[in-house]
Amino acid sequence: MSSTSSPLLRTTSKDPITVQSGAMQSSALQNDERVRRISPWRSFISRPEFGSIAGTLLVFVLFGIFAGHSGMFNLDGVMNWAQVAAYLGIIAVGACLLMIAGEFDLSIGSMIGFAGMMMAVPSMFMGWPMWASVLFAFLGCMALGGLNGYLVMRTRLPSFIVTLAFMFILRGLTLVLSTYFSNSTIVSGVGDKVSSDPVMSTLFQGSTLHGLFVWLAHTGIIDKLPNGEPIVAGMPKVLLWWLLLALGAGFVLSRTRFGNWIFTVGGDSAAAQNVGVPVRRVKISLFVFTAFCACLFGVLQVADVGSAAADRGLQKEFEAIIAAVIGGALLTGGYGSVLGACFGALIFGVVQIGISYTSFDSDWYRVFLGAMLLLAVLFNHYVRLHATRSK
Amino acid sequence: MTDNDDYILQLENVSKFFGTVIALQDVTLRLRRGEVHCLLGDNGAGKSTLIKTLAGVHQPSRGRYLVEGKEEHFTSPREALDDGIATVYQDLALVPLMSVARNFFAGREPMRKLFGLIPVMDIDYAARVSEEKLADMGIHIRSPHQAVGTMSGGERQCLAIARAIHFGAKVLILDEPTAALGVKQSCNVLKLIHTARARGISVIFITHNVHHAYPIGDSFTLLNRGQSMGTFAKQDIAKEALLDMMAGGAEIQGLVAELEGRVAA
Amino acid sequence: MRTPWISILLVGMLTAVTATAATAASGPHANERYVLISHAADSDVWWNTVKNAIKQAADDFGVQVDYRNPPNGDLADMARLVEQAAARNYDGVAFDIADFDVLAKPAVRVTAKRIPLVTINSGTQQESQKLGAIMHVGQPEYEAGKAAGERAKAAGIASFACVNHNAANAAAFLRCKGFADALGVDARKSMIDTGVDPTVVENKVSAYLRNNPRTQAILALGPNSADPSLLALQRMGLAGKIYFVTFDLSSAIIDGIRKGTINFAIDQQPYLQGYIAIAALAIAHEDSTRDPAAIIAKLKTNAAFQSRLREYALKPVYTDEGVSSGPAFVTKDNVDTVAKYAGQYR
Repeated sequence: MSSTSSPLLRTTSKDPITVQSGAMQSSALQNDERVRRISPWRSFISRPEFGSIAGTLLVFVLFGIFAGHSGMFNLDGVMNWAQVAAYLGIIAVGACLLMIAGEFDLSIGSMIGFAGMMMAVPSMFMGWPMWASVLFAFLGCMALGGLNGYLVMRTRLPSFIVTLAFMFILRGLTLVLSTYFSNSTIVSGVGDKVSSDPVMSTLFQGSTLHGLFVWLAHTGIIDKLPNGEPIVAGMPKVLLWWLLLALGAGFVLSRTRFGNWIFTVGGDSAAAQNVGVPVRRVKISLFVFTAFCACLFGVLQVADVGSAAADRGLQKEFEAIIAAVIGGALLTGGYGSVLGACFGALIFGVVQIGISYTSFDSDWYRVFLGAMLLLAVLFNHYVRLHATRSK
Repeated sequence: MTDNDDYILQLENVSKFFGTVIALQDVTLRLRRGEVHCLLGDNGAGKSTLIKTLAGVHQPSRGRYLVEGKEEHFTSPREALDDGIATVYQDLALVPLMSVARNFFAGREPMRKLFGLIPVMDIDYAARVSEEKLADMGIHIRSPHQAVGTMSGGERQCLAIARAIHFGAKVLILDEPTAALGVKQSCNVLKLIHTARARGISVIFITHNVHHAYPIGDSFTLLNRGQSMGTFAKQDIAKEALLDMMAGGAEIQGLVAELEGRVAA
Repeated sequence: MRTPWISILLVGMLTAVTATAATAASGPHANERYVLISHAADSDVWWNTVKNAIKQAADDFGVQVDYRNPPNGDLADMARLVEQAAARNYDGVAFDIADFDVLAKPAVRVTAKRIPLVTINSGTQQESQKLGAIMHVGQPEYEAGKAAGERAKAAGIASFACVNHNAANAAAFLRCKGFADALGVDARKSMIDTGVDPTVVENKVSAYLRNNPRTQAILALGPNSADPSLLALQRMGLAGKIYFVTFDLSSAIIDGIRKGTINFAIDQQPYLQGYIAIAALAIAHEDSTRDPAAIIAKLKTNAAFQSRLREYALKPVYTDEGVSSGPAFVTKDNVDTVAKYAGQYR
């Protein structure tokens, strides 16, 4: 960014800098009427998230107009697109942190499929208990993430290339495992195995707060199905995981020392090195975290859909990057926010599933999706430019 | 003049070789406490190798490196930093997208415990202290949360220097601080160096611009092709003489004579 | 700044598209809305016929219809679309049972809301009933294979080779088995597992025929196995000399039927899968019935439906349980009509 308008520094005399004694300093600080205080509104709209919040509102308004009566905003409609957003949100959080640190992971989508297979194969074909298979999946994916990070740091190749290679390798391995063990591209019955394991089932499957929703239906606040059950059985667990992950990552990024390191490493890794930030450790940790997010996506999806397949998570890495960018993260690194990425995932999810609620011909889906995304990003860009311009 | 206790930093007959390349040869540099010592030399004179040796990035191939009379062998920049020798490189080690507060404390973040349990970065402390310390140096900023990228080059230079001073630098090594700056901004930086000296910090000011060096310097060392051409106190030498020596004055005069002679003929 | 102009342009474009996308249905049923969800990726051209069919059914019955599919063919996305169909409160939902386990839970959401459900294409009658569908409109794979086998047997065929390009698929296997059982031979011994790569298919077919020179017939399971097999026969000089039967249609297959290198094709008449699904849902809604027999009886008397059948030379297969879209046999006699509408309605 180049400074075009009034300089940041102001001084209290005609000379550019005057040396003042300590006592005069503090009073000068408080009483310099030429030093402007920034209004709360202005500092709010300068935040990286503001553009994506505004973009989300815009998307809701547009869908309110085009699909208002279609059931999109009924409770089950909301749960429908909220789940899509939650899945994407989980990997968007990981991709966002990594992008702020200046790197990309293109193998996320393949890792989703691979994680599903790592969970399915031991439990269905080797007699492992489900909890062991799930643990195996998480540890394996995180190890792969670490390998990704290590290779990137060691070879100094762009992470784009290294993770692209893994994108192919993992996708291929997923297919190999699937056809070797089950003679087809899909491994069924995993969902049932998860249901029979109480811990895994509680953690990853279905929805929760059933009692609350029954009560809400009973009192008429939410609709009922013809058989008396509430229209939505409970809060889907994927939404809770998304919330948890977003809160945790957001806290780490904005409030902890590690978060400051992430910004420093992404903004200028040479500078980071010079001030003593452990660049390698930061980047490799973030690759491991992204792999964790991908594995979580894969495990939740397998528990939900009931089977693991070789084509799961296709192209999800790009969607995660898009969500992070809509949320205000810079592609070049050093700037971004987790909350913004969450709104980005929300926009993406709403647009993706919301189009089906409109009366559009499905052939127009991709055109519509691209246009909505462009709109959201432009809006975001315009708002940020407007907000950070000094007036 | 040769009393060792007066010197906070010394390079005695230091040479540095990279394979067959002689980057530095028998260079002697002595820095007194509270002195601004200017290191002058044209491009390719060996200044960057010298800086890196002082900063601890390189180890001298020959000679001694003394800090406060004690011989030191720094194996990493971190060690030199811990000894109070702070180097401000040309790229400043500042991240434009981050705020002043975050930049100020990058790598040395102040911590506190949230609810007594969770270690978090103390952002309020960072904001308050960075604003205060800059004000101490005579720099007033609008808000410590403003991005460094919105500051001009001179302001950033001052920020980097103020940061180094805050973190306990006893010796400040400045690598071409005014190289990319305009006249007014250069003046700001020079005044800041003056402030630093007033607080008892010793400065090694590396530059190829004698016009900037002369007003602020107490003594000058000239470097040419890896060798020292001498150290001079300010009262012993005039600015023009320095310029001459740096620009290879004798050579230029010979060239001028030759050209005029040609034209006349 | 230019940015707001681009935004305004985009919003304007979206509004324009919505306005044009609204279908021009009128009449007493204009507010009824139905959906057909397939598992196929956007690039799968086979479903084009189905898409056109549902549009025509919607026109004939004066209702509105949507076609939805997961863009990349991801079944998890398809499950999401079925859930979304339930949330959207359609008057009827149809989908193909690409994977029973994946679609069982979302299907419950549809039936729990008492929305009528019809299944088509993939899946068996039992699966369809388990999902609570009114009927299943597809082509039972085993029966189709068997019917084709009986035709071949009547022509004097006693042995065959099944070119299976989708060996992992249960439906593909059933096609081969039906044919083998009709001839009274062992299905596994007659099967060639070729995969989908055309060069590999061609080579494996040639190799098999060279090793088993007394094979009297070739059964291909679709264009992916038929087209390369034809090439293999041409190269060996056997085109037209060996009895050739294939499932589904393609331009090469239609060409082959015309030239006589293919004896007949087994067409599952995808048009009927789409049309009948929507028609059945519309009738179920209008008459407030879930009885498949009553629905089919009503459908048979529907004039618009009958005229479509005549126009495209389609023959639904009525059974005790309901109606199947196939098998229909495309031979030299009726290939011209089929060729005329190939890719669109046939």
